[in-house]
Amino acid sequence: MAALGLDDANLLERDLKRQRSSQLFSVRLLICALISIGVVIGIIGTILVKGVPAINWEFLSHAPAEGMSAGGIWPMIRGSILLMAGTLLITPAVGILGGIWLAEYAGNGRLPQVVRACISTLAATPSIIYGLFGLAIFVLKWKLGTSLVAGWLTLSLMSIPVVMLTTERAIRSVPPTFLEGAVSLGLSKWQALRRAVLPSAVPGIITGLVLAAGRAVGEAPPILLTAGLYFSTEKLTLDFDTLSKPVANLPYHLAEGYRQGGVIPEKIIWGTCLTLMMFVLLINLGAIIVRSRQRAKQRW
Amino acid sequence: MVGTLVRPALSASNVDLFYGNNQVLKSVNFEAPEREVTALIGPSGCGKSSFLRCFNRMNDRISGARVSGNITVAGQNPYDPKIDLMALRRDVGMLFQKPNPFPMTIFENVALAPRLHYGLKGSQLEGLVESCLKKAALWDEVKDDMRRKNGLELSGGQQQRLCLARMLAVQPKVILMDEPCSALDPISSEKIEDLILELGQETTILIVTHNLQQAHRVSKHCAFFMLGVLIERGETEKMFSDPQNPLTADYITGRFG
Repeated sequence: MAALGLDDANLLERDLKRQRSSQLFSVRLLICALISIGVVIGIIGTILVKGVPAINWEFLSHAPAEGMSAGGIWPMIRGSILLMAGTLLITPAVGILGGIWLAEYAGNGRLPQVVRACISTLAATPSIIYGLFGLAIFVLKWKLGTSLVAGWLTLSLMSIPVVMLTTERAIRSVPPTFLEGAVSLGLSKWQALRRAVLPSAVPGIITGLVLAAGRAVGEAPPILLTAGLYFSTEKLTLDFDTLSKPVANLPYHLAEGYRQGGVIPEKIIWGTCLTLMMFVLLINLGAIIVRSRQRAKQRW
Repeated sequence: MVGTLVRPALSASNVDLFYGNNQVLKSVNFEAPEREVTALIGPSGCGKSSFLRCFNRMNDRISGARVSGNITVAGQNPYDPKIDLMALRRDVGMLFQKPNPFPMTIFENVALAPRLHYGLKGSQLEGLVESCLKKAALWDEVKDDMRRKNGLELSGGQQQRLCLARMLAVQPKVILMDEPCSALDPISSEKIEDLILELGQETTILIVTHNLQQAHRVSKHCAFFMLGVLIERGETEKMFSDPQNPLTADYITGRFG
């Protein structure tokens, strides 16, 4: 390096300096990672420590008793499962088809750009706004009343934008050469999409659907005003009437439990908290399993 | 320049192609004879692939693509507003630069299009799949597990032959090939070249290639493009031994490219 006017000592010093700053940066990254992991562990740990003592078979399988100071939370779990099931039925019809449109039919014109921006905004809209909208339209205007159906519609409305975006992303992640090859064989666009593209996008689409619906069902605000009953001691009856009646559910139960501090024993609130967390965790776990199974089969 | 062919399978007159404001092809006049292999050669970015894709309108997906002039292929004008694009693409098959089998079994890869297009099934479909895999020289390698094995599990060269079989199953009259060997190793390339020579006996093939030796080996006719202009076309043998245009001569002798 004599040509550049640098001697060996000089170079060595520069190298050491670069190594030091590189190490320093890794340490900084590690600290940031530890902070975020620490927060998660702190939250989960607290809920586990305080919630586990409340959980037993009776707690999960019985209705509240003695003015909610005893008994379990089964009606709320059942309500959340019902809400989830309906949301999973309604959301894909609009969300997945909408996502396919966004990915393959909308193009890049002015209108689709506006639509895309609107959908991204909707996907990030606070859930209380969906709650109020559901109250105004489904509950009052459509006269569905505070009911399971109104809850389904509200939660679906909330999940649809997210599902559209994840579906679009799942389709765009499939190599465009699949579609090109199919179209070059004379398949129609829909045939090409359905046969050569969508099968590879299905795991991503399902994951997005389940995560969106799971998230929506864990939220209290959208069902507060549309489907909510903050507790119920009813026996399990599933018939046509169930659709037009409000349902008890975990997040609302939890919110009210806190608000009316003192009525419900703290132990039961923490137990409910843990149950809700496990409920969402199980849903996410299901989505992760679906995805990883499918991904193992995927070869590109 | 060669004179007008008696029955050109493909032709272009005064074809301009734009991508937005960028003119990719400049008034190209071109003809390719029936049942022969014609090669399109020229340096990168000269417009030869874009020209190839005019014949089955695979440029359509590029936003801002505009074509003017007259194109005919297999007796049709691809840019006729009344054209049945699906029918056109059944007549004009295409092999891509990078092998792109579908993520399904080998059998399904070949069977998909004839089943959808012609409603074939059962032994008729099986027979067609077998004959196409044989024509693509892939049958012996896959006949035992073609119903279990995914097309994407094959090697690159096998994948390209699978794509060829898949295309032959539609019974195209004209075959377009866009640098079909550029992603393959020399041995796989040789196999594809052999197939091109064989298929060229009965089908019209238009092939884009970067590889001059390959153009020399497989094609009867040749067209040289540069910067969107067709510089020279004629019989391959003649063009390689006695190019008329100095630009062609420079390119063929490796002075640039």
